[in-house]
Amino acid sequence: MAMNQRQRLLAAANGEKLDKLPFGARIDLWYNYNSAHDTLPEKYKGWDQTAIIRDQGAGAQSRFHTVVKDTYQNVEVIEKNIPPYVETEYKTPIGSVSRRTLFTTTEGPWIGYDTEKMFQSEKDYPVIEYILQHTIPVLDPNFNKAQTAVGEDGIMMTGAGRASPAQRLMRDIMGFDRFFYELADHPVKVESLLETMKDMVRRQHEVAIESDLEIYYVGSNWSDDVHTPVFKKYFIPWFQEITEFLHSHGKLAMAHADGENRRLLPFFKETGIDVWEAWTPVPMTSVTNTELRNAVGEKGIIWGGIPSILFESTYSNEEFDQYVINMIKEIAPGYNFIVGMGDNLPFDGDIERVGRIVELIEKYGKLPVSI
Amino acid sequence: MADYSLLSQAIIEGKGDQVAGLTSEALNTGAKPQDIISKILQPAMSIVGEKFSSGEYFLPDMLMAARAMNNALTILKPLLADTGMPTLGKVVIGTVKGDIHDIGKNIVSTFLSGVGFDVIDLGEDIPDNKFVEALKENQADILGLCAMLTTTMPSIGTVIKALEEAGMRSKVKVIVGGAPVTRDYATHVGADAYAHDGGEAARVCKELMTARGAD
Repeated sequence: MAMNQRQRLLAAANGEKLDKLPFGARIDLWYNYNSAHDTLPEKYKGWDQTAIIRDQGAGAQSRFHTVVKDTYQNVEVIEKNIPPYVETEYKTPIGSVSRRTLFTTTEGPWIGYDTEKMFQSEKDYPVIEYILQHTIPVLDPNFNKAQTAVGEDGIMMTGAGRASPAQRLMRDIMGFDRFFYELADHPVKVESLLETMKDMVRRQHEVAIESDLEIYYVGSNWSDDVHTPVFKKYFIPWFQEITEFLHSHGKLAMAHADGENRRLLPFFKETGIDVWEAWTPVPMTSVTNTELRNAVGEKGIIWGGIPSILFESTYSNEEFDQYVINMIKEIAPGYNFIVGMGDNLPFDGDIERVGRIVELIEKYGKLPVSI
Repeated sequence: MADYSLLSQAIIEGKGDQVAGLTSEALNTGAKPQDIISKILQPAMSIVGEKFSSGEYFLPDMLMAARAMNNALTILKPLLADTGMPTLGKVVIGTVKGDIHDIGKNIVSTFLSGVGFDVIDLGEDIPDNKFVEALKENQADILGLCAMLTTTMPSIGTVIKALEEAGMRSKVKVIVGGAPVTRDYATHVGADAYAHDGGEAARVCKELMTARGAD
């Protein structure tokens, strides 16, 4: 019996040899933008994302759900909706911190963007440590609903949070530049906060591991900007720990690796991460598919390969087709590869090119690739 | 000038805590503020840019160097009231409308300032007409446009069109960059140049100034 899209994607992620290249498409940015502006193609008005991807013949990615949600003990969380911002204040017995999050239709997948971070100055260290120590993760019942909704059409792309502990400090708590200034000025305090963050993320994984999720995000949206020495010291040991934990429970670890990663490539393999998703090669980064394959080894699962901008009208259909055919040639024999976007269908991209990829796979993507 | 290699080295190594003292020492030995900037600080930042482009330095190294340089400028700028800062040219820079990401643009601003450009940073989420107004008001030589999202990338093209409509396109060089922006895309929307990072932006802007002189 033929595999459904969900089975195909999971089999590929587990390193099984398939008859043809699997394809897991991501269109949320395109879908959300055009839904909000009432500019979806006439045919697809009123459709949900998964149905559109199914109609194009690809496997689906269901995103922005969480396996765990955080609850708090002795921390009062007050949210104020001040459109387009949401201000969140965290009140603890030893002080308060707050953050300001912007929700905008240009922020693609409608995730919030923190315009003011929780950490503002040295005085915030103990308060943030307190919040992390008093964070109690619980299973999010909405996860099962989302998983049921995507059903046989695809898989859930989530985990116990999107980022590693160091990246949560860097990106979510402090902001990129402040993190590096703090690491230079107050390294002991940064490392103490990082240890507290690690403990919290471990608790999140201990809860999340009880879910039905098969592949867990352990890192996302990093790039060479992370700084190679920081990646070596603070990221790799964590990835090794958490992938070992996931593997011991029969689960896989995945990274959302759509940035410029030339300088980090030599360290990818030792992270232990299984799936390198949203992979974005030349021309949006400087790295080729071959270079990533050499970096992650034959057993590493690469998911991606088609940069977002290829879906723009600046590339003709002929150029698009030629890119996809060349990519298939480049990745031959094609095992341990899932075709996908790096990282999304752009808001003004052509949805019909999702279907073109399906057709090109039928024509050229039989495994092992022999064109 | 005397040997100020320690100051230069402190900038290159991002040792901000040492820079203030070394800058004061340089002033005390009779160095002119504009010479400290043009002969020590700006060459040091050029070296930082080269180290980044060659792969020796990482983005945080540039951040630390820029912070160190700002420590020196805090002391030197008030002393330049009469002569003004030595400048390679004026650059108006900003992130296009709808885009609120600032890190990449800030790094480029810092680098351009570091090597000697007078940078007018308009910030993020800037409407097309604000770029045009700022260029007119400041009589700038170069416009730097940043987009970090595929959703906002097309605004680079609309700003360039707005420049054309305002009859200003031939008066200003346009350099663009940002995560989804490629060299091909820059050409496609009619920009004069593309830069992948702050170090490259500084080098390319110097070339654009040379090209302006030749126009």
